[in-house]
Amino acid sequence: MSNTVKKDQEPSKLRSFLSSDTFKGLLPFIGLVVIVVVMNILTQGKILTPKRLRLLLSQVYYPMIVATGVFFVMTLGSIDFTEGSTLGLASIVISKLSFTSIPLAILGGILTGAAIGAINGFFHVKFKLQSFIITICTMFLFRGVCAYLTTETAVPASAAIKALDQNWLKITITVAVLLVAWFLFRFTRIGNDVKAVGSGETAARFSGVKTDRVKFLTFVAAGALTGLAAFVNVIKVGSITATAGNQLETQILISLVLGGLPITGGAKVRFSNIIVGTLMYTVLNNGLVMMGFESQTQQLIKGVIFLLFVALTIDRKALKVIK
Amino acid sequence: MSNTIEKLKASRYYGLVLLGAMLLFFYGVFKILTPSNFGSLSNLYTYLQASIIYSVGGCGLYFIVVMGLFDFAVGANIVLSSIVGVILSQKFGYAGFILGCLGCGTLIGFLIGMLYNSLNVPSMIVTVGLMLIFESVAVFVAGGVKQTLGENLRFFSGAPGNIILALLAFLLMYFILNYTKIGTYCNAIGSNEFTAKNMGINVKKYKLIGFMLLHFFVGIMAILTVSYGTTMTALTGMSTMGRNFQPLMGTFFGVAFRKYKMPITAIVVGEFIIQIIFNGFVALGAPTTIQNVVTGGALLVIVSLTARGGKGSVVK
Amino acid sequence: MENRVLLVAENIDKRFGITHAVDNVSLTINAGEVRGLIGENGSGKSTFSQMLCGIYSIGGGTFTLDGKVLHCRNQVEANNEGVAIIVQEMGTLSGLTVAENIFLGHEEPFMHLGVKDTRAMNKEAQRLLDEYGFGRIKAGNMIDLYNFEDRKLVEIVKATYMKPKILVIDETTTALSQNGRMELYKIMDAIRADGRTVIFISHDLNEVLTHTDTVSVLRDGEYIATVNTRDVTEDDLKRLMVGREIGSAYYRTDYGEPISGEVVLSVRDVSVPGQIDHVSFELHRGEILGFGGLSECGMHEVGKAIFAASWDRTGSVTLADGTEINSIPTAIAHSIAYASKDRDNESVILNESIRNNIVLPSLGDLANHGLLSGKKLTKFAEKHALDMQTKMQNVGQFVSDLSGGNKQKVVLARWLGKGSDILVLDSPTRGIDVKVKQAIYALMADLRRQGKSIIMISEEIPELLGMADRIIIMKDGVLNGEFLRDPALSEEDLIAKMV
Repeated sequence: MSNTVKKDQEPSKLRSFLSSDTFKGLLPFIGLVVIVVVMNILTQGKILTPKRLRLLLSQVYYPMIVATGVFFVMTLGSIDFTEGSTLGLASIVISKLSFTSIPLAILGGILTGAAIGAINGFFHVKFKLQSFIITICTMFLFRGVCAYLTTETAVPASAAIKALDQNWLKITITVAVLLVAWFLFRFTRIGNDVKAVGSGETAARFSGVKTDRVKFLTFVAAGALTGLAAFVNVIKVGSITATAGNQLETQILISLVLGGLPITGGAKVRFSNIIVGTLMYTVLNNGLVMMGFESQTQQLIKGVIFLLFVALTIDRKALKVIK
Repeated sequence: MSNTIEKLKASRYYGLVLLGAMLLFFYGVFKILTPSNFGSLSNLYTYLQASIIYSVGGCGLYFIVVMGLFDFAVGANIVLSSIVGVILSQKFGYAGFILGCLGCGTLIGFLIGMLYNSLNVPSMIVTVGLMLIFESVAVFVAGGVKQTLGENLRFFSGAPGNIILALLAFLLMYFILNYTKIGTYCNAIGSNEFTAKNMGINVKKYKLIGFMLLHFFVGIMAILTVSYGTTMTALTGMSTMGRNFQPLMGTFFGVAFRKYKMPITAIVVGEFIIQIIFNGFVALGAPTTIQNVVTGGALLVIVSLTARGGKGSVVK
Repeated sequence: MENRVLLVAENIDKRFGITHAVDNVSLTINAGEVRGLIGENGSGKSTFSQMLCGIYSIGGGTFTLDGKVLHCRNQVEANNEGVAIIVQEMGTLSGLTVAENIFLGHEEPFMHLGVKDTRAMNKEAQRLLDEYGFGRIKAGNMIDLYNFEDRKLVEIVKATYMKPKILVIDETTTALSQNGRMELYKIMDAIRADGRTVIFISHDLNEVLTHTDTVSVLRDGEYIATVNTRDVTEDDLKRLMVGREIGSAYYRTDYGEPISGEVVLSVRDVSVPGQIDHVSFELHRGEILGFGGLSECGMHEVGKAIFAASWDRTGSVTLADGTEINSIPTAIAHSIAYASKDRDNESVILNESIRNNIVLPSLGDLANHGLLSGKKLTKFAEKHALDMQTKMQNVGQFVSDLSGGNKQKVVLARWLGKGSDILVLDSPTRGIDVKVKQAIYALMADLRRQGKSIIMISEEIPELLGMADRIIIMKDGVLNGEFLRDPALSEEDLIAKMV
């Protein structure tokens, strides 16, 4: 009974500013600048050297491609935890196929990802199961499959595909993915439909949005993009071990949240969340490494920052009961 | 006629028969496929000892899951609490071990509950963040080295110690569910939070209690886990994620059989069934890496059967 | 009946946003009295009683029970003061046993040092169930095992075992079979004989006349009168319930215009399990077809069924050209629009801008080779929002900021923008202030003149009489009567077919 909630206390000015949409929209950009400046000071300017920047950039490509797909899933208000295992499995498929034909390998990777996405989407839509439960199940399932396929040795990729490890190619692919996704999000009804499902699924259905189809296809697309990201991963690393893509799902989740994506999805998502978030995560990650922190300290700091950003950016109005 | 069937279906014996049938089915399948290296009595005893560890955690998670909440920090707390317990045991023996595990476990539960209540963020998200934090804390506490449980403190490593402790945990769970208000209130909150509030239930308080109870059971699970394996290494990088799901599977069994008023039996038997499936595959020659596949697949089947949303429900 | 005053309600008031649900109601009830509380849908009787029972906070005024002012923040506190309620909706909680449900919030008598004596609790619950004659319900069983009616019976026990000074029964009888009703009447009689009080809310006037001592009537949130049951007839009660001026410029004033013979939509044998049963009718061009009945009569589901938004619908909905409407996208593509009664969940997307709400069904039409232009969308939304005179800062404003009336304007702007020819409007003026109401009526009349067909589902009888060319009354999921537009048609005529 929301009407019994007392509303008569005036929130303080600072508080109302902190919870305003303007602030929430600006926060990621402020965060990015702050993190770059802070890291630059703490590392005595080492993070902004051309060599470092190039290294930084090389870590951005495939997470950014994956984050683009997950961005759409999270706009639905759903969540996807399968990126890591999808990337691992798709990388294995690509590596194996790379001995036959490279275009076939790329296609195989994308199809592998799409198939996993389709499984997620099918269970989510058909059985009306929460996406986080489904994707955790499938994450485990495919993580196991990856481990099984790499039990004996790592899976090597062909020399031909490794030869493609060129910055221009990776940049082209990443930029192309971002541009196409941005275009679809802004200039076709895909963006509107996905946002509408995220903000109010029932009303969207009553307005003629084919909600089940939108949800299913979004999961398929996210999987397919992860499959494409696997290609970028394979040309970089060359041979796939059981740990390929480990923790990618958390990295992406944290990146998007840092980028200001409200965990509730819906109308308040911004496409810039993907770029700002991925950059922020990478700078943060590199800065922490350069400052010589051990991995546990890095993780502690990331965990705290993650919780802080969720608490600041979440749209509590969109949640009727917080579970 | 249909009335008697309805009545039969409603009785708790129907639930028992259902569980028994599932157990027999999976046992039968693997026994037929690999009669020689699966399912002897001593084998079954081994499976049981592994499964009761998870059942204890499954009992704890039940409080949270029936309220519609979730907790990803269970695995991290198993590691953290067992490390705290082992370190304290080096000074204070059994007292340090047991109180260390249980105390640390419950304290973590308190922290999670408080943070969840004050941040107003879905439990799933809060606990993902806290999992990262607790994992690193565990590494700090352990000092980056493998912690080994002293030779003289291995009472819970095997039968009867582990079985006694697990039974005590199940009894405690039975007591809480049937002889305190907590069980009733958790169910009420899960059924309809608004109505529950209206009936004078302090929802925040009982959510906090739920998290604390869960992590008290996680503390027990930590004792059993580190005793079973004798060592514990703290690792970062979401390495504890996997530990969340074995207890969770039992919990889903428990929730599914709630209507037969036998959640604990369902949790214990459910975990046992999962162990049978897993060991059955291993007996068939599958590598142990298959465990994740079985975990994921089984959980997927269980939730598909039990946790489906109704028509027109909005599921995110 | 004693003449001791038990409950005094003074200047009770409640607003939900702009809706004045209960308007300064004062009344007194004696001990040993069964008081009927009647009024049309939305007259404020449920809100009034739910404030008494702590479900809603009291907006203004005081309830004094036995000389003590009540300040109940929830049902349990109300119970402790001696006030209990059996609510319209499902009041029992799944996942709990019958006994746990009965004693929820009142476990104290069974607690010893924090330990709950479950056996004693089950035994006591069973004793109560047996005493009430519901012995076939077992206290130790999960409530989930019982059907809606049995769960209602459990709720009756829960509400009355503690011998409340006042028991509110809020439209419970509709959920009960004849036997269940008899049990409830017996309990009411027992409470009266015991010198305690019942407030009995029901739409079934016959039932009210047979089982109450006095009847209070509310209308539009205001207190109208209290009468002695034995002095009045059903017609008297109806008159008190209605008693409103009809006519004026508020509604359409034309009468006698013929309905076009051209059928635009035919509904054949449409059933939705548990909601509507073999409903068939035709909608004509340029007609406003009204649907009336009690809240639960199934008329709201008819709207959903036409729009193909129902689950498990059988039967057919066909357009004049033979197109079958089997999915929402098909319905929209073939010019059918639907505005739900549940405006906030099913009509508008609250956490989204006015613009995106308006353009949503029209995106296909607005796209140029699949491409959308933001400017074009904004222009489109602005045009239709302004046509509807929506009060807003700009179309980028979120719908959640708007009042009920303006939300409805956004919904109508959406469908008019889509150019729909058949509009299914469920409770179009629910919770909307008079000025916007007037605008919506004018718009409907205008659309009708343009040859558009409207199905107006409404719980407000004057609205049906004032706006519809033809009125279909539903009862228990089936069509129960049809009336043509006629100045001589009275509210009593319609009510007679509803109850």
